[in-house]
Amino acid sequence: MNELNIKKMKHLFIVLIALLFLASCMQQEEGPKEWVLQKTIELDGINPIGITNMNDTLWLSDGDHNRVVQINSEGKITKRIDSLERPMHIDAQEGNLFIPQYGNDIVLRQANTGGTQSLYDASKDSLDAPAGVSAYKEELAIADFYNNRILYYNGSDWISFGKEGKANGYFYYPTDVQLTEDKIWVADAYNNRIQVFDKKGVFLQKMGEDQKMNAATGIYVSEREVLVTDFENNRVLVFDHEGLLKQILTKEIDKPTDMIIKNEILYILSYRKGTISQYELVEKVAATNK
Amino acid sequence: MKKTVIITLVVGIMTLFSANAQKEMDQFMVQVDGLGCPFCAYGLEKKFKEFKGIKKVKIDIETGDFSFSYPAEKALTMEAVEKQVEKAGYTPITSKIIRANGSVEESGTSVSAIRSDKSLIAEKIHVAGKCGMCEARILKATKDIPGVATASWDVDTKMLLVNFDPTATSMNAIEEGVAAAGHDTKNIKATDSKYKGLPACCKYERIEY
Repeated sequence: MNELNIKKMKHLFIVLIALLFLASCMQQEEGPKEWVLQKTIELDGINPIGITNMNDTLWLSDGDHNRVVQINSEGKITKRIDSLERPMHIDAQEGNLFIPQYGNDIVLRQANTGGTQSLYDASKDSLDAPAGVSAYKEELAIADFYNNRILYYNGSDWISFGKEGKANGYFYYPTDVQLTEDKIWVADAYNNRIQVFDKKGVFLQKMGEDQKMNAATGIYVSEREVLVTDFENNRVLVFDHEGLLKQILTKEIDKPTDMIIKNEILYILSYRKGTISQYELVEKVAATNK
Repeated sequence: MKKTVIITLVVGIMTLFSANAQKEMDQFMVQVDGLGCPFCAYGLEKKFKEFKGIKKVKIDIETGDFSFSYPAEKALTMEAVEKQVEKAGYTPITSKIIRANGSVEESGTSVSAIRSDKSLIAEKIHVAGKCGMCEARILKATKDIPGVATASWDVDTKMLLVNFDPTATSMNAIEEGVAAAGHDTKNIKATDSKYKGLPACCKYERIEY
């Protein structure tokens, strides 16, 4: 290595250090943030239960009207899938919608090309009111409401875990489920808590038990937060991944059932009023409207 | 030729009768004790799907009004409907059947008549519960007791306010009635089996005695 190259390396090193220092300063400047209500949109005759994001558009399940609908930014229906039986907490992945049907015990995979497929062969071990589904890469999970269990497909086999009860690892009517890289997160609705499992179904942690929730019906796990709907109390609780309560959202929330974050906007469904409220993350000091 | 015409006519008439019989449906209207959430409402509907042939199932979650139609030929009874509602974990408050032939059957809470010259007393008692469905159940249990004039229960304070004729009933009898419906009161605990039979969303925190 000649002297010129050594000099160049030195300069590059200095520039890198300076950039790192700058980035570190910028991070320090960023204060704590919280979710603040921006607006609420009335939905087009929809009583929403589940929400998902497919190809950057929002889809809602409308259990009361036995359909799943795509909506635009004004809350108007732009596409619909009818003749379902009480669709609940839906999910989407790579152009496929996953629809648990509480009314007929069938979980559907609906491709945007129009094809449908039943996800779980119930001939040997039937579901009883599937209330939530989650898809992650090749994996799937189903919240099997009346059977008080979670079914998890690891890409080759299904496993089942949980039964009725209050102890760790037991459920009292699970209504929603979400898969992440290494965990299964469950809205354990009438135990009024969130439970977290590894992908073998081993209990890892719980959260929200001390928050006096009344029906923890929906869950959404983002990179940093765990959000849960507290249905009867008209709240959405925001925890960090360790279960520490960060924020309670109440504004314009009425019988919330589900939520999702898309393009840094949090969308919260209010079942009773048929609305979708949009919250944005803002610097805590600037927040005036929780 | 004549034979063919007669056979065709007979078959045609039979088909017409059969089609009419299929079309004849009894209408059922049941008010259940409030349906707090979609999970409860759809659960009730699911239980009723065990009745093959059920049509036009409609549920109003806010009011607890539940209606459906059912083939008249199956002569579904009021008792069977109410049993099915109870099997799903709910309490039927009023039921009405309009039969295909126009006759009407009704059942429901019999409000005990209290003579106007009776002096009523008002009392308050703590009753455990947690939602609108609990409220409906507690009030039905209270108002079903002969001698009770009015009752109200507050979901936040958990206090049951009762106006009743003390010559016809007592607070102890009222507490017994409410506990029999599955709700712990200040002095009387509901049995574990009654508590277990409550819908999921009604599982309140039990009172420590």
